Amino acid sequence: MTVMQKQQEKHTPKPQKFRVYGPVATVYGSSNTGSWRILCPKVDYEACIKCGTCARSCPANIIDIIKEQSECVVIDFDYCKGCGICANECPVKCISMVVERG
Amino acid sequence: MKEIRFYGVGGQGVVVAAKTFSVAVSIYENGYATTIPAYGHERRGAPVYADIVADNKPILKNCFLYELDGMMIMDDTLISKHISIEKFKNEDTFLVLNTNSCSIAEEYKNTYHFRNVYYVNATAGAIKHIGKPIPNSAMLGALAATGIVKIESIEQAIRETFGAKAGDCNAKAAREAYAQTTKI
Amino acid sequence: MTYKMMDGNLAAVEAMKMAKVQVVSAYPITPQSNIAEKLSDLVASGELKAEYIRVESEHSALSVATTAQLAGVRAATATASNGLALMHEVLGMTSGNRVPIVMPVVNRGVAAPWTLWCEHGDAMAERDMGWMQFYCENVQEVFDLILMAYKAAEDKDVLTPAMVCLDGFFLSHSMQKIVVPKQELVDNFIGGYKSQNTYLDTEDPMFICDLTGSEEYTEMKYQQKVAMDNAIGVIEQVQREFEERFGRKYSIVEGYRTEDADVVLVALGSMCGTGKHVVNKLREKGKKVGLAKVTVFRPFPAEKIREILSGTRCIGVFDRSAGIGGQGGPVWSEVCAAMKDISCDIRNYTGGLGGRDVSPDNIEKIFDELLEISQGKRKNHTAWIDLKENAMDIRQVIKNV
Repeated sequence: MTVMQKQQEKHTPKPQKFRVYGPVATVYGSSNTGSWRILCPKVDYEACIKCGTCARSCPANIIDIIKEQSECVVIDFDYCKGCGICANECPVKCISMVVERG
Repeated sequence: MKEIRFYGVGGQGVVVAAKTFSVAVSIYENGYATTIPAYGHERRGAPVYADIVADNKPILKNCFLYELDGMMIMDDTLISKHISIEKFKNEDTFLVLNTNSCSIAEEYKNTYHFRNVYYVNATAGAIKHIGKPIPNSAMLGALAATGIVKIESIEQAIRETFGAKAGDCNAKAAREAYAQTTKI
Repeated sequence: MTYKMMDGNLAAVEAMKMAKVQVVSAYPITPQSNIAEKLSDLVASGELKAEYIRVESEHSALSVATTAQLAGVRAATATASNGLALMHEVLGMTSGNRVPIVMPVVNRGVAAPWTLWCEHGDAMAERDMGWMQFYCENVQEVFDLILMAYKAAEDKDVLTPAMVCLDGFFLSHSMQKIVVPKQELVDNFIGGYKSQNTYLDTEDPMFICDLTGSEEYTEMKYQQKVAMDNAIGVIEQVQREFEERFGRKYSIVEGYRTEDADVVLVALGSMCGTGKHVVNKLREKGKKVGLAKVTVFRPFPAEKIREILSGTRCIGVFDRSAGIGGQGGPVWSEVCAAMKDISCDIRNYTGGLGGRDVSPDNIEKIFDELLEISQGKRKNHTAWIDLKENAMDIRQVIKNV
């Protein structure tokens, strides 16, 4: 087995802009998928039974259940597209989808 | 420039013989030889041939040959396999034939009007030296008997092609066939 | 000078080995198979320090090679015929992402009818996929053009992949005497590989081949067009440097006894050797004929074609591909476009398909027709030069319905 050698230039401590040909990007404008959201999940913590169904159902895998916190359902809104699957799947219906903007 | 064709059947080592001959001419006699092998649906026993152009200067031609200076036939039953060889020869074309029978050699000479036929029992020589009925090396020895290439060059090329161990017995088969070849 | 006996496939492997490819992903197909086999032998024996990645198709072979090369190494693959056709969509990935792979293509017709044998139809079908195309006359050229292709493809103003096309069997399986230079000379000529434009590096990630809208797509295609335009000059420079270092002269189009020729035949591939042989023979008989050998078909060297052909009033173009449905073969179409402002008569010839030999007799027949046309003794030409008379009645079968 041979080890593949990296032969490109050494990594630079000072990033610079280079012109490249062809389809390529290092800044991913469309990767901030939280900006797609129109409806936003809102949790009723009084009703929540901390079962974790919402976390398991999330297609983006961005829900964590932290049981020792009072606001135990933690959603990463940078990546939540507002699809509503968590609200749909919740066995006690403690997640509602609310209008977030104008 | 010499244009030569090796005829045989699949399994006799026709293509290897052509490569070995081209090594003998190109590397050991400082000449140039190009092989133009005719590949088909490969199987044992099917009629096969390979063309070789040899010259003392670089060769331009890269196509099949249509008027041969010489032919080598490794299987004397080809005459009955509907291989038309007449249209590729002229009155000076020579034949090198693998046969155990003087009368078959005579038959080829008279049927196809060859001026010179060189023949040897290369299959017997191959069985004796290599232990297998693969007559290609012995036939290269017989080809050297026509004077078109030196037997020493053939021996060296055989050693290069076949490697040390198989090279020795194949070279012996070539040397013996070279000595035993009869011209009629 | 060291001479070696090699067939075209082994010469291709030797060149890729000397270019120190570090990843190989090839899928065997007749008549390319012993390229894949020999590369695998060399990796197994350690003579070639590379990863050999076994793939399940040509589509995967080129996908692996393309992405491996993006990771910063020279990657090798090779194919033929239907294998090249299966690579079709990946060819665009390689060229559009500007990955300068060099790939031998062992020319064989594309089915149907199934054929194993030589014609240029496979490579011609891919002529607009953004790859450079080199065509080899003999085994020495297979070796030399692969080395030159690496240098041209990897040039910063080109960054475009290259096919080096060698005729199936007539070159791939033809043993010829060639010069193989010392490794050191090759190293000095092409050097090591360095990713220049884009690369795959986990410490410096970039997203290659993202969806590109109409506001940028045209410009990226234009970048490829400019690269092809640049390639003409770069290849000529590479050929000059090759001659200085290795002593063998190359040209993007070679004029062979064309200076004072009454008629010229344009050809490419292994038939050029036979063509030159016929030119010499006819010259001895006092017939002023010449041959123009197209070494580089993509980018098409239109200016060089004009330079060589401008004094000739009657020109034949031999296409070793059928160009079905076109007005003539692809080489003929390009030559016509190059010569559109120059008054001349350009005749299309098609032949040598599916392994049919391009024989000296047929080339002589073309020259004789062209000479008669140029002297006003003849109007029509035999476009399908080696066609049998019973073309429409080739097979009969027994039917039960």
